[in-house]
Amino acid sequence: MSQRNLEKMKRIISTLLITTMAIGLSAQVTIDRTTPPVPGPAPKLNIGKAVNFELDNGLKVIVVENHKLPKVSFRLTVDMDPLLEGDKVGYSNMAGDLISAGTATMTKAQIDEEVDFIGGNLSTFSNGMFASCLTKHQDVLLAIASDMLLNPAFPQEELDKLKKQAKSALKSSKTNPNAIIGNVGSVLRNGSDHPYGELQTKAHVDAITIEDCKSFYNTYFRPNISYLVIVGDVTPDGAKELANKYFGKWEKADVPKHTYPQPKADWDTRVAFVNKPGAVQSVINVTYPVSLKPGDSDELTAKVANAILGGGVFSGRLMQNLREDKAFTYGARSSLSSGRLVGSFTAFASVRNEVTDSSVQEFIHELTEISTKPVKQSELDLIKNNMNGTFALSLERPQTIARFALNIARYGLPADYYDTYLERLQAITIADISAVAKKYIRPQNAIVLVVGNKEECVDKLGKFAKSGKVELYDHQANPIVEKVKKPLPEGLTAAKVYDDYLYAITGETSMKKVAKKYKKLKSLTVVASTKMEQMGQSFTVEMTTKAVPGMGKLEIKVLEMGMVVSSSVYNNGKGFSKNMQTGKSKLEGDELEKIKEQSMLDKDIKMAELGYTMTLLSIEEVNGVETYKIEVKDKGGDLAYDYYSIKDKFKVYSTSSSKGPDGEPVSASSELGDYKAGGASGIKFPHKRLIVTGEQEMDFKVSKIVANEKIDKEEFKIDLD
Amino acid sequence: MKSITALLLGTLITGLSCHAQNKIEFEEYDLSNGLHVILHEDHTSPIVTVSVMYHVGSKNEEPNRTGFAHFFEHLLFEGSDNIERGEFSKYVENAGGILNANTSNDRTFYFENLPSNMLEMGLWLESERMMHARVDIKGVETQREVVKEEKRQRIDNQPYGSIVSEIMKRMYKVHPYKWPTIGSMEHLNAAKEEDYIAFYKNYYVPNNAILSIAGDITKKETKELIEAYFGPIPKGTKAIPAVTAVEPPLNGEIRDTVYDNIQLPAVIQAYRMPANGTDDFYAVSMLAQLMSQGESSRLQKKCVNESQSAMFVGAFPFALEHPGVTLSFGICANETKPEDLEAEIDAEFKKVQEELISDKEFQKLKNQIEANFVSSNASMMGIAESLANYEMYLGDANLANTEIERYQKVTKEDIKRVAKKYFVKDNRVVLYYLPKEETAE
Repeated sequence: MSQRNLEKMKRIISTLLITTMAIGLSAQVTIDRTTPPVPGPAPKLNIGKAVNFELDNGLKVIVVENHKLPKVSFRLTVDMDPLLEGDKVGYSNMAGDLISAGTATMTKAQIDEEVDFIGGNLSTFSNGMFASCLTKHQDVLLAIASDMLLNPAFPQEELDKLKKQAKSALKSSKTNPNAIIGNVGSVLRNGSDHPYGELQTKAHVDAITIEDCKSFYNTYFRPNISYLVIVGDVTPDGAKELANKYFGKWEKADVPKHTYPQPKADWDTRVAFVNKPGAVQSVINVTYPVSLKPGDSDELTAKVANAILGGGVFSGRLMQNLREDKAFTYGARSSLSSGRLVGSFTAFASVRNEVTDSSVQEFIHELTEISTKPVKQSELDLIKNNMNGTFALSLERPQTIARFALNIARYGLPADYYDTYLERLQAITIADISAVAKKYIRPQNAIVLVVGNKEECVDKLGKFAKSGKVELYDHQANPIVEKVKKPLPEGLTAAKVYDDYLYAITGETSMKKVAKKYKKLKSLTVVASTKMEQMGQSFTVEMTTKAVPGMGKLEIKVLEMGMVVSSSVYNNGKGFSKNMQTGKSKLEGDELEKIKEQSMLDKDIKMAELGYTMTLLSIEEVNGVETYKIEVKDKGGDLAYDYYSIKDKFKVYSTSSSKGPDGEPVSASSELGDYKAGGASGIKFPHKRLIVTGEQEMDFKVSKIVANEKIDKEEFKIDLD
Repeated sequence: MKSITALLLGTLITGLSCHAQNKIEFEEYDLSNGLHVILHEDHTSPIVTVSVMYHVGSKNEEPNRTGFAHFFEHLLFEGSDNIERGEFSKYVENAGGILNANTSNDRTFYFENLPSNMLEMGLWLESERMMHARVDIKGVETQREVVKEEKRQRIDNQPYGSIVSEIMKRMYKVHPYKWPTIGSMEHLNAAKEEDYIAFYKNYYVPNNAILSIAGDITKKETKELIEAYFGPIPKGTKAIPAVTAVEPPLNGEIRDTVYDNIQLPAVIQAYRMPANGTDDFYAVSMLAQLMSQGESSRLQKKCVNESQSAMFVGAFPFALEHPGVTLSFGICANETKPEDLEAEIDAEFKKVQEELISDKEFQKLKNQIEANFVSSNASMMGIAESLANYEMYLGDANLANTEIERYQKVTKEDIKRVAKKYFVKDNRVVLYYLPKEETAE
């Protein structure tokens, strides 16, 4: 009787005993659906075998035979040492892309045609190539692949395209908090002079030449450091023939080797912060380098320990604590990964601003708990069960077997490394977990890295650092040195700073004269525009404001499409807006107030009347300029912060946040500069406005300011029909 | 741009799934309560997929209760008489398995991939779901919030995410394909507990479902377990309402403009097409493939590589149980006006209407179809779903082996003919997607 049936008999008997005289009990298989079924013994896993051989040119070939489908795939891995790319970071990626962008005898279009004809796939990258198709078309596909590998043409125009794309990607990553934390984390862990810590800049992209790409390919794309993995409907003999025919002529050469000092977490707990003005969430990483390489004897145990902490399953400790118990976040997890040069640990979550420090506290707590106290048997069992099952499921794909064989070859693992995987997993004890946790989970050497709203979060974080100090960085991991804040001059008030600003923009010396100057302003037209990049395309967005006493208008256009996307009008107590999305609507309440204020020619001198209160807070440095920071509170209690240059008195920076259409807070900041007289008004206006909202950045330049010209009143007509 | 393709393809599940060479052996039978069972035995790997497909999708909903079918896909992970709230996924996690579900206009599909010694666990979970799932107000309230987040993330917040719903509501006037599967949040809010219970009792019954199992099983033992777990589930007491609405011909082009949170304008042309499984369906699918599968396809080559008037272009046939649609979708490159891109796309369709395609191009289509079919049956999960799909839509699970013959019957002349018959102005809805207000101070 099998184990499973035995279990079942036990259940049937106990059911019978409880119900004594069960009437009409079915003679067939009986189940008790009130409790989950007891599984039978784990199935014996049959891990498929790979065949390895080497060509004369040194190319190592791994074959996994699987005839379930009439399909075959070829993955080439060029196993070079990681590179330091210096002042041309990213050139190896571009070189990899270019290998499939044309050969000596085929254009890119011809290659596309041929590959599509057979319904195949073919792509190349910095360390190899992937190709797959039905078995019967393999010769066509391999002929193209071989041509790419042996005779790439490296067309200049394709490189130009890649460089353009790289610049767009850089731009978008500048405001993306997850991209920032990934970049800064890799620099802080490994140092910027390590292959794992190099960051690409625009200057790097500009510097890359087609010669760099060719030279990379000539130096490193060599068979003697490469693996060709063939998976699918192929025999080892057939594979050998194919490999020789299509990759045998690939010439070997000595490839330079590179070694690097291994990064070490030789510091006590640090706190690092990257400011993202106006952010409503903090992204937190608790991270540090670990000395863990693929195939290290305790790698599997370390994986299990990390899984208990937060490495995947919903029942992980971080998820249970920060999400299920405290509701700080949608998800909190951790990763512990091995790396060829060095490994890394990172625990991570995105949390709302006000719980940033409490979340860090919980991260430190959980890391400390697991590294100092034994885990529960039930936790360990759950992870073992889960990993046992996912290992079995992963074997369905022949690619898994191929990956195993490649790892064994690349990292010099024992030949039975994966055959003994489940035994080794089952043998792990609570004591083993304690030992690896102590070794690899090290809150005492961690960097607590936060990308978020400095104003709201940074103050409470210093206490987590051994030094008590928070290190500040920019989005490219350059340290920002904060000068000791100067004290405010005795007796200085917000009103005085603001008056000085009005004097500066009007060139007057008394408030009376300032008021007179504004009174003379009878009409004003301001046109500003910016280029926006989206998916490699650029648009010009133009913003026009017009005002006369009691009336005003704000209009936004996309020039390329020649259309007005929105416009709002205020006319003596009434307002309406026209929007391509929502159509026409009457403005009331707050919205009406807002457009009314925007249309006022003399708003600057009526701040108090409009219900704004200002408070002078501190001296701050903004983009290298010393400023007075002033809090501006409106009637409704919403806050904004304005920064006035101490030297030339102009407003140079401003931040605010407001509720967006769906109630989510939306933040905006503006950098203001290039103050010049606006037409005949005699008042200076900033001609440069760099506006950042969310992840959008818009660099507006004023192209036209006209004052006191007659504006047709028709412009301000309330048109609600 | 891959995400857009995935989005369009993911919105409606295509029934393309067939096998060129290696025959899929399977056995099928009915339980006395009407549950249709399909078993595929394969001992290559010690794993099993347990899946149940219910013949209920958004087209079965009441017009004032849209979104129910998809909502149930969430609700039915809440537990059952014997499974505590939140425990459903934990059982699977602990067993080292994975689980998920999806909903289309026509059906709802649940599955677990498990190590094969966990077969009984899968049967227990799925039979609990079918027999006495936990349908109560607490679960409804929790899942409502989750579905709202899903809608925000996948449709509202996704550039071009509303294309399918904007097209369908103009394409259909009487047929329930006119509303989106995610449905209306107002309807979900307005529904009472008894509405949800009634929907469950109507549609989540064995006589409206297919249990499809593929993997490392022995049929005899599996059948006994199936009888034990699913046999006692009573047959539904009500007749399952048939969807009888027939959409009259469009009779004239519909054109409109939608303003979305996007940067580049897009042109969408949607044509009515015949239902999944009909002769013309296969010819139309091949026409769509001619236009947009691969870098060398007609629209890709013309609009993206040569004239460079588009950033992206594609044609997507929706394989629906009732007559459906094929979308052609192009995103304008910088400074291209939507009208100009539309004219280019029209010219490409016109070419197919006037000239027979070349033998080489025709052969390319056949080669691609073969490669697609082979790839779609690489996993037990793929096979279980594919067998259930064919049985549910076309009443013949064996089409998983033979559907390719239907494609092979299509001629070059058929492609020209369907281009003339379906890809005409009177049979289409055209939408321009334009960027809405830019955010600025």
